[in-house]
Amino acid sequence: MDIDKGIGKGRVGVSPAGAGGGDRSTAPSGRATAASPIEFRLDAASGVPTYLQLVHQVEHALRLGYLKLGDQLPKVRDVVASLAINPNTVLKAYKELETKGLTAGRPGQGTFIQATLSQVALPELTALRRSLLGWLGTADGAGLDEDGMVALFTSALRDFYERRSGSRTRGGAASGETEGVA
Amino acid sequence: MTALTMPARPKHDAGLRPVPWRRMAWVTWRQHRAALGGVAALLGALAVYLWLTGLQIHHSYATACHPASSIACTINFTGRYATSVNVVRVFLQAVPALIGAFAGAPLLARELETGTFRFAWTQGIGRWRWTLAKLVLLAVVVAAAAGAFSVLFSWYLRPFFAAGYAIPFATDVFDLREVAFAAWTLAAFAIGALAGMLIRRVVPAIAATLTAYAGLALATALYLRQHYMTPLLTSKLNLPGSAWIVSQWYTKGGKFAFPARGSQIVNALQHFCSSSRLSPAQCLSQHGYTWWARYQPGSRFWPFQWIEGGWLLALSVLLIAATVWLVRRRAA
Amino acid sequence: MSMNVIEATGLGKRYGSTWALRECTLAIPAGHVAALVGPNGAGKTTLLNLAVGLAEPSAGGVTVLGGLPPGSPAALDGIAFVAQDTPVYKNLSAADMLHLTRNLNRRFDQRYAEARLAELGIPLNRKAGKLSGGQQAQLALTLALARRPRLLVLDEPVAMLDPVARHDFMATVLAAAAGKGEAGGVSVVLSSHVLTELERVADYLILLSQGRVQVAGEVDDLLASHRMLTGPAAEADKYAERPVVHVRRGEAQAHLLVRATADDPVPPGWEAHPVGLEELTLAYLREPGAAALPGPGRGRHTQPSEVTQ
Repeated sequence: MDIDKGIGKGRVGVSPAGAGGGDRSTAPSGRATAASPIEFRLDAASGVPTYLQLVHQVEHALRLGYLKLGDQLPKVRDVVASLAINPNTVLKAYKELETKGLTAGRPGQGTFIQATLSQVALPELTALRRSLLGWLGTADGAGLDEDGMVALFTSALRDFYERRSGSRTRGGAASGETEGVA
Repeated sequence: MTALTMPARPKHDAGLRPVPWRRMAWVTWRQHRAALGGVAALLGALAVYLWLTGLQIHHSYATACHPASSIACTINFTGRYATSVNVVRVFLQAVPALIGAFAGAPLLARELETGTFRFAWTQGIGRWRWTLAKLVLLAVVVAAAAGAFSVLFSWYLRPFFAAGYAIPFATDVFDLREVAFAAWTLAAFAIGALAGMLIRRVVPAIAATLTAYAGLALATALYLRQHYMTPLLTSKLNLPGSAWIVSQWYTKGGKFAFPARGSQIVNALQHFCSSSRLSPAQCLSQHGYTWWARYQPGSRFWPFQWIEGGWLLALSVLLIAATVWLVRRRAA
Repeated sequence: MSMNVIEATGLGKRYGSTWALRECTLAIPAGHVAALVGPNGAGKTTLLNLAVGLAEPSAGGVTVLGGLPPGSPAALDGIAFVAQDTPVYKNLSAADMLHLTRNLNRRFDQRYAEARLAELGIPLNRKAGKLSGGQQAQLALTLALARRPRLLVLDEPVAMLDPVARHDFMATVLAAAAGKGEAGGVSVVLSSHVLTELERVADYLILLSQGRVQVAGEVDDLLASHRMLTGPAAEADKYAERPVVHVRRGEAQAHLLVRATADDPVPPGWEAHPVGLEELTLAYLREPGAAALPGPGRGRHTQPSEVTQ
């Protein structure tokens, strides 16, 4: 049986960076029109929700320069086929990116980068660093060791983003909720 | 969170065209070509044997059997040809049973046993159409093959009838002749199909089919067949050889004396006819016994074939309908 | 669009004197990948058999694809089923299986099927029985998807597969669910007794336990409406602010799985964490009396109703 030449043998819809997806497409090349510069990966054991991992990977790629303005994100179907995750998860991640203003979807074509990450200005970075060192001093004085500081910070960070995206989906105001201190 | 939108599909209206019946032809062929091949091989091998020996017998009849009572004819037809036909007809009795058991029983039993019915019965054609198409197609094919084969067998037997060494009505060949053979094969197939659906395992279904068929065939041969039409009664001694004597007995003085078989007649013959050279009936009639017989005249052969074929066909249709009904109704 | 691919009302199935499924009421919305989860013997296969028309209900009723009777020609046309152990005819080649499936259905995308098998490296002229387990499963899945169904039903599809085969199989299923471009794809209902990887794959969860539906709802709603509270074991029994599903306790510390959202206040001295799907499912399986079922307007975005104890 003659099969379309574009379909590689033995690959299950894998979309290596720079090549077209599992559909009939052109031969692998650097930046083919249907290609995306990045490829997602999944850390199942990290505890971070899948869609957030995708969001972070896009932001990270933007920061490091793998993604530039106008680049296309991988097609939903290709991400699903290579990571074996639910399509809604990818849609959720892409929607989050769109809400953040980083991407824009073009109907029938895909999702494209439309802004770079806002760089935080240097003075702000310095101020943030100083306040962080202050907090670390307080924590150390309270008896927290390094792992304890990391655990507290990670948990608070997670809650912060969850609450922010949660309040967004519910369309309600972010609640300034108090959390019990351990 | 967005759920995926449904694809824009052509509207499925309630009046869906069903999958055409003719599609089942390839499906049936591909899935059962081994069974069909087995049937073809079995009948084919027998046909070759019948053809070769039949040519010989026909030739011998043409040369040596005018008159039929000639010595050469007698030697052949009561000797080696008789042996041949005995072997053949015994084997042929089993053929419908084998076809029914090995083509009919595994049809549904294998699907149920291996679990492939979970694939077959969830396809678009639907389970009862699938079953009905397969059953009807295979039933017609095996019945036609059996019918064609039995025409050859009748040709093979013709010299025996012509020379008077066998009668069409003989129990041992009646059900191997044209209409009856095809009908018995059909019935065996239908029994097998139903057994397969009820028992759901191949080997037990095959065993059950063989048993049920044997029981039915025996019951018909021993009890049922003689009553298709009311047997005629006679006491004339010179019945034509083509008649099928169903039962015979002797009376004396208007009252029943003894049946024509058994220890009583043996005693009577020893008493009266030990030195006589007449036939038993002629001798005993000289001593006041009257011979009686119930018989079916030879002219009734074809009506009987059609009657037997008819009720077997009705039974087969009933069994197949029951199988399809079970498939339609019963849960997995 | 808001069609329910499987809708059951008081559905029950009895084998002899044992009820394999009882009082099952659920409505699985279209456009989702729904996972039917539960221990062995919970009734998953029974429920799926009822939905695809391989079994008749003993009580209640079930409809598919927005009101069709299971086993009706329209339902058979729109639903593709891959049973446990992916039965294929072992002495038929892959090409024969394609031909067979094409003959038995109204719609069959031969080109897609051939291309897919070539992509997977499954030779068309090898007997299906000689293929590896993963290849047989992929063959069965290819046949199902080539029928272009609206609903794909899979009964424990990956139970016998090695990890790579499992990943590839699920990737195929999910790609089919994603569809092409803007349009959605196939709705999927799959059963599994393996809980890991569930969260990645499913966006609708049905938990069956002892023949009854214990949990049913969108995964996001379920996760958003449960929290894990960690605090002093001594106060665990006194907690009554929100319904408690499951308690795990040590000497000094206890974990409470409660029906609460991120907006609900946390008692002083307690910490609240989100719960993962596996942890949630295990907790419910350990508490047969607890249930989390959608309220009225099933199948849409609703807040799960109260815990019924």
